[in-house]
Amino acid sequence: MHIADGIVSAPVIATGFALMGALAYATTRNVELEEIPKISVVTAVFFVANFIHIPFVVASIHLIMNGLAGVILGKRAFIAITLGVVLQSFFGFGGVSVIGINAVMLGGGALLAYGIWQLRHLLPIKGGEVVFGALAGGLGIFFSGCVLALALVTTGDAFWVTAQAVLGYHLVLMVIEGAVTGACVGFLLKTKPELLSGWKRPDQ
Amino acid sequence: MALEIDRYAHVESSIQRWDPRFKLLTLFILIFVLASLRTIPLTVVGAMLSVGLLLVSRIPLGFAFSGLKWVILFLLPFFVILPVTYPGTEAHFMGIPFAPEGMRLAMLIVLKSFSIVIVALVIFGSRRFDVSMVALHRLRCPQLIVQMMLFTYRYIFLFMDEMQRLDTAMKARGFVKKPNLYTLKVMGGFIGTLLIRSFERTERIYKAMLSKGYQGQLPSLIEFKSNARDFIKAGLALMVAVALLAGDWLAGFQVAEKAWY
Repeated sequence: MHIADGIVSAPVIATGFALMGALAYATTRNVELEEIPKISVVTAVFFVANFIHIPFVVASIHLIMNGLAGVILGKRAFIAITLGVVLQSFFGFGGVSVIGINAVMLGGGALLAYGIWQLRHLLPIKGGEVVFGALAGGLGIFFSGCVLALALVTTGDAFWVTAQAVLGYHLVLMVIEGAVTGACVGFLLKTKPELLSGWKRPDQ
Repeated sequence: MALEIDRYAHVESSIQRWDPRFKLLTLFILIFVLASLRTIPLTVVGAMLSVGLLLVSRIPLGFAFSGLKWVILFLLPFFVILPVTYPGTEAHFMGIPFAPEGMRLAMLIVLKSFSIVIVALVIFGSRRFDVSMVALHRLRCPQLIVQMMLFTYRYIFLFMDEMQRLDTAMKARGFVKKPNLYTLKVMGGFIGTLLIRSFERTERIYKAMLSKGYQGQLPSLIEFKSNARDFIKAGLALMVAVALLAGDWLAGFQVAEKAWY
């Protein structure tokens, strides 16, 4: 979920941009030429996936899919998500002044998802990829919810209840995103496993 | 505002003629000033200024509204949540707690969002998107970022169409989204298919680009020339930004004394 303009305070905005700059710099060193189109694809799919709605009891929830970006791009997911957020803000979704905080929130979740995805090597069970894919997708978005709640709470006490609602919403989102990401990883594993980050040919 | 943000980029106006380098730089400064305002009167002034900017840019109002609709829908809940949940309130209205201070905060948020989205629309709606990106590059934005934004902007439209086709295909086979695990599993496959098709398509595009000599640079024939008018417009925008900031700083002392403006 995004935050819009005009909500969080100036120090939170500044912190967001500072963190975004640092993370973007750290994760985009030595980008190869052929990576540029690949990163852009994930940015565009991330952008488009935000228009997919899933029914939930009475309301409908739109997918975020930042965890999946981490599973596919590894650490390069941060810049992909950041640019997705920047473009969304240009089109009036999200906000321009909060690009920094939105990028850290969603891109940070993607980096965490990548970390969890990498843990699958520690537990080599059958179908472990799907399990770790689901965990990555779920915890990736939950991290975003925590950052959002933190940004609201540090802005002022007035947002205390709003922050709690945000956390609750992200608990639901965590289950949905986890299931979709897990299913997507399972599907990619069967059809085009080289898309997943860190994939090696079985004979190597 | 749909995804074609530059649909009305051909409309002649003094904003459209403004050198995009100056426009990007000064209006972005204005956006951050607008975001930092803390009092209602100044945010009202800011909102009026941004609407004025929109009128000068002559971007059709209906088009602008289609973009604002989403922001308004997103922010409306604040009018309910904040007054009811504002901490430490004693005031009641028809039996439920109702804090004027929470109402003020909600107003502040909505006005600020509203004006910032309008300014962003004026920035990117008044010139073709690729021209804006070239201007961003001339402002020392790294080549990597600019190229990825240009690629993504192109891909978004392709993938939206691809997604529509996939959606039609699923509906033709009788798939209906329901709140159950099966739907989530199908959506996972849906996104996976979208990813695979998109990757394969961009691989072909990338090979075509390589065969045409792509080496990481996107040369452009666009040349920007600035004249006195560009400087005057930039000066005006900066003066407005400084005035707003000064007004906010002066009013800042009063925020603590008087809660409601």
